[in-house]
Amino acid sequence: MIMRPGHQLLLPANPFFIWGSLVGALSLNMLQNMGGGRAAWVPDFLAVVLVFWSIHQPQRIGIGSAFVFGLFFDVHQGAMLGQHALAYTALSFLAIAIHRRLLWFTVPSQAFQVLPLFAAFHAIEWVVRTVAGGAFPGFLMLLAPVIESMLWPLISVLFLLPQRKAPDPDANRPL
Amino acid sequence: MPLGTLDAAPPPFFRQGPSALSKLTLFSALALFLMVADVRFQITQPVRVAVATALYPVQWLLLRPVLWARDSGQYFESVKTSRSSVDAAHQRLNLQSQRAHQVEQLALENSRLRLLLGLRERVTTPAQAAQVLYDAADPYTRKVIIDRGMLDGVLAGSPVLDETGVLGQVTRVYPLVSEVTLVTDREQATPVLNTRTGARGVAFGDPSLHASALELRFTAANADVQVGDLLTTSGVDGVYPSGLRVARVAKVERRVDSAFARIACLPLAMVTGAMNVLVLKPVDLQIAARPSEPTPAVVPRKGAKK
Repeated sequence: MIMRPGHQLLLPANPFFIWGSLVGALSLNMLQNMGGGRAAWVPDFLAVVLVFWSIHQPQRIGIGSAFVFGLFFDVHQGAMLGQHALAYTALSFLAIAIHRRLLWFTVPSQAFQVLPLFAAFHAIEWVVRTVAGGAFPGFLMLLAPVIESMLWPLISVLFLLPQRKAPDPDANRPL
Repeated sequence: MPLGTLDAAPPPFFRQGPSALSKLTLFSALALFLMVADVRFQITQPVRVAVATALYPVQWLLLRPVLWARDSGQYFESVKTSRSSVDAAHQRLNLQSQRAHQVEQLALENSRLRLLLGLRERVTTPAQAAQVLYDAADPYTRKVIIDRGMLDGVLAGSPVLDETGVLGQVTRVYPLVSEVTLVTDREQATPVLNTRTGARGVAFGDPSLHASALELRFTAANADVQVGDLLTTSGVDGVYPSGLRVARVAKVERRVDSAFARIACLPLAMVTGAMNVLVLKPVDLQIAARPSEPTPAVVPRKGAKK
């Protein structure tokens, strides 16, 4: 196994935690929409969490799950069916494309490298909606990818906490 | 296995599944198919209904804290503001009651005159009260979600009003909720009538002008439209009953280079803050069907051989 220097060996990720965090991010998105109304600049938490798990656990979370979550979000928003599905699919593909390289960098520089991913994600949505004849949501839309990449350091600390626990020596020690 | 993780199972060497690129191609094609099916052919409603029904418990649960926050905000509203709003309501009621007394007499007179002239009765539309749950989050459109759906008998296409004017039209119906497209949405067209001149027109939503506005399109540059004109529904569309207030003209711009005037109107309904709304039944359920067009007589073409 290739170990990155100065990094802790992590515990295996709990699949329930992965799926729970994705559903939680979807709920958080829905909550901010229902509480705050429509604004173009609000960050898409689901996109951040999807990129995080596509990079850290590409065997478990990938393009297929991104597509399904996109469909759910489309129906919730009342947007065109398939718009978020396409954008999340492309986002997850880009994340998987860089997942071997990205983790060798420090977390702040990772945040800079995922910024183009989020920008591409919003650009795909914008292009698709403009082709389908939607109104321009305003220049504040450009803030969304910046906020999303600023969330990256926070999320990479929070979501790795369960994997950083000390392993329980009693779990599989023969007595 | 991900980098630097202690995992018990060895990573698969050969069974890696389809490549990321092929998955991207497959799912993008599926998404594009869904988009075309949704926008062009409008055949995805069953998929939407199924997903929306699965999502509804989550939405209901998440809406609780939102509603609690809203309610507690209203609870701490001071007595003074509620008193002043009651006073204002009384004043408005006084103003309206004078006209309301006349309405019965006018309605009687109107019905007699209509009988005299042999005209059809004016259609009456049954209404249903509903509550706005939240704004639909899609920033490219202007829509709200209301708490009445298929189970309450809401039909797609029903007009929706609030206490000050026309709010919009139901465009998608789910089992328990419905989507209302506001009059300020870019794709939403409302047939209107200028109450001062009687000229009919079509008002389209125009979110680019202000935060929420309408544009009276296809009006000739020399047409008689003034700032402050009241636009009501014309009733010729078979959807809206006639005479509901829609908007007031805010700006008239006549240009030399265009045959049409650019007329901006402000909606009278509270498109950004409506809470309680009325859902009407579409009018076309009550009016007689349009007579079928007579089949055109077959005219032999000039160059046809005999």
